Amino acid sequence: MKRSTFLAAVAATLVLLAGCGGDDGSSSGTGDGKASGEVTVWAMGTEGEKLGVLAKEFMAANPDIKVKVTPIAWDVAHDKLITAVAGNKTPDISQMGTTWMGEFAQTGSLEPVPDDIDTSQFFEGARDTAVVDGTTYGVPWYVETRLLYYRSDLAKKAGVTPPETWEDLKAAARAMKEKAGAKYGISLAPNNWQEFLPFVWQNGGDVIEDNEMTFDTPEVVEALDFYKSFFADGLTADSVPEGFDVTQGFIAGTHPMFFSGPWHMSLIEEQGGAKLKGKWDIAAMPEKETGTSFVGGSDLVVFNGSGNKEAAWAFVKYLLKPDVQRKWYETVSDLPAVQSAWDQGELASDPHLQLFGEQLKDAKSPPPIAKWEQIASEVVNAELEKATVGGASAEQAAKAMQEKASSIGAE
Amino acid sequence: MSDAAIRRPDQAVPHGTVWSRLSRHLTGWLFALPWLIIFAVFLLIPIVASLALSFTSFGLGNLRDWFSADFVGLDNYSKLLSDERFHKAARNTAVFVVVGVPLTIAFGLAAALGLNQAIGKLQSVFRVGYYLPVVTSIVAIAVIWRYLLNADFGLVNAALGLVGIEGPNWLGQKSTALASIIALGVWRNFGFDTVIFLAALQGINPVLYEAAKVDGATPWAMFWRVTLPLLRPTILFLAVITSVGYLQLFEEPFVMTGGGPLDSTLSVAMYVYEQGFRFLNLGYASAVAYALFIAIVALTFIQFRFLRGDEGA
Repeated sequence: MKRSTFLAAVAATLVLLAGCGGDDGSSSGTGDGKASGEVTVWAMGTEGEKLGVLAKEFMAANPDIKVKVTPIAWDVAHDKLITAVAGNKTPDISQMGTTWMGEFAQTGSLEPVPDDIDTSQFFEGARDTAVVDGTTYGVPWYVETRLLYYRSDLAKKAGVTPPETWEDLKAAARAMKEKAGAKYGISLAPNNWQEFLPFVWQNGGDVIEDNEMTFDTPEVVEALDFYKSFFADGLTADSVPEGFDVTQGFIAGTHPMFFSGPWHMSLIEEQGGAKLKGKWDIAAMPEKETGTSFVGGSDLVVFNGSGNKEAAWAFVKYLLKPDVQRKWYETVSDLPAVQSAWDQGELASDPHLQLFGEQLKDAKSPPPIAKWEQIASEVVNAELEKATVGGASAEQAAKAMQEKASSIGAE
Repeated sequence: MSDAAIRRPDQAVPHGTVWSRLSRHLTGWLFALPWLIIFAVFLLIPIVASLALSFTSFGLGNLRDWFSADFVGLDNYSKLLSDERFHKAARNTAVFVVVGVPLTIAFGLAAALGLNQAIGKLQSVFRVGYYLPVVTSIVAIAVIWRYLLNADFGLVNAALGLVGIEGPNWLGQKSTALASIIALGVWRNFGFDTVIFLAALQGINPVLYEAAKVDGATPWAMFWRVTLPLLRPTILFLAVITSVGYLQLFEEPFVMTGGGPLDSTLSVAMYVYEQGFRFLNLGYASAVAYALFIAIVALTFIQFRFLRGDEGA
């Protein structure tokens, strides 16, 4: 508890800080046709640390443009960007989480993508993260999608093959628990929309169509019922502690299956070591109507407050070149958003990576609407939790999701 | 009787011009200035601004042009009345205060009474021990407690397992999550109360106890009739300080449960944070913050009323 602070001041402090804060995002524009001048780029996490490598190569090829990369930690990135927008101190370019796109488009601070960038070169699901009300406000930079990780040794013991359908998935989870003796059959969160929405999509449903919420449809109810059944049957833990990392449970064999992105491959290799070598594998999403997965990653946006848009887009275009995308994969293991980058090298030959590449062709993103963060957290996660562990029926949860999401969306 | 006659000497009737009065206090003002500036910039302006915000629909779309936000009157406040999550947060916070504050004060008093009997080194060792959690980073404490209370490999359930009890999933189920947070709050904060009580206990004149003894009072009667009444101002002080702190409950649930499961540990302060900084409904978040502010003022007022008694505070 902060005894010394007046909580009443919390909200306004943001606005105030916005006035004082913000980094130097100024740049000199020329506007004489040939792009030149200085471009500032904000990038998060590993990307922020390593983007300098690409920036250097870009500057070698374009001596008139100076690219300045500012690394930002992920946990403060959202606040910092919001502050920058409020204080009109935005950088020229920023990396942006795909689920933030709707929000920042709403602030009116993003520049639409120029026509000379061909958006059909990206994976469809990734491209859609940047399309808000019909206008494209950013380009996908790198992508990730979720697959099923499973312990192949336990699967063998349980006598199951990688699940291909919903029924298979359920049967595999049951066999893992009952025949292979794992504590749980699978690891699903009782309140995580990112794990739940793929089931809706796989069932042919969606949560928003033509700006109308579509939670109260039979497809969503059925997906909720299916998701809920893993909890009712004791096949997954009914709570996920804060800071829980499934990797340890996977290595120990208590959580023999889970859905996650490509980063878990190296986590399992590092933490599991030789002990787990050859004892795990990944598989595509189980199918119902489709085998759709979740697509995440980051987009690149140019702010309309930029004084040097031409040079900014020039750098963005450079980052989208297939060979630069491949080099970026080699540098930080980010999967290319540009499809043609997957045609060569490790991306084309490694079987695990190919699985991700295949899944990316059938992967969707949450709707890029301004209030998504609030709807996801206050409505989808909350009502999902009520259905999985709170005793609500799938119909009740779907109905509540529809009502609450519609009222937030209408604000 | 003239007005000047009842003034205390240090408030003598000012003579001379405004300027001479000002220059007399100039040094004082200069010394206070650094603090005053910081107070104005970081507290006063935000407090006033958030009050203004709470009557607007300030949100995401208004970030670039602050004055484009619509004035909505009391809409944000009337929305509070029908907001289920706010009600839940208010209920959780109320439980935390109503259960937590008396427990904290009781533990603090018990520890202080014990320490008051102890002598020499022992006293300072325990005093430091009890006070240590108060000065330790709350986030670090909450992370450690999260591990202690973990259902599968936590120390608490391991200890319970030794005596054959299968411990519950403390933070993972609705029935025990808030209680666990209260336990952490009490454990962390009672050391502060102990130190204050100890000082107050040592300030009680021993003559009173001797007189009571001569009158044949039992230790129990001495506690009720002598110690407790004399501690009343201290209890008031601690009740106010602890309540104001507990009403702003934030870090413990933020780190330990994220407000879950099923919002059972969501506090009002967390709700303000969520609405304001995650969802960027800044107008509404300001209204929630002001509701909390009003609750703090009201509770403090009530405590003064009830605990002041005859001695005054």
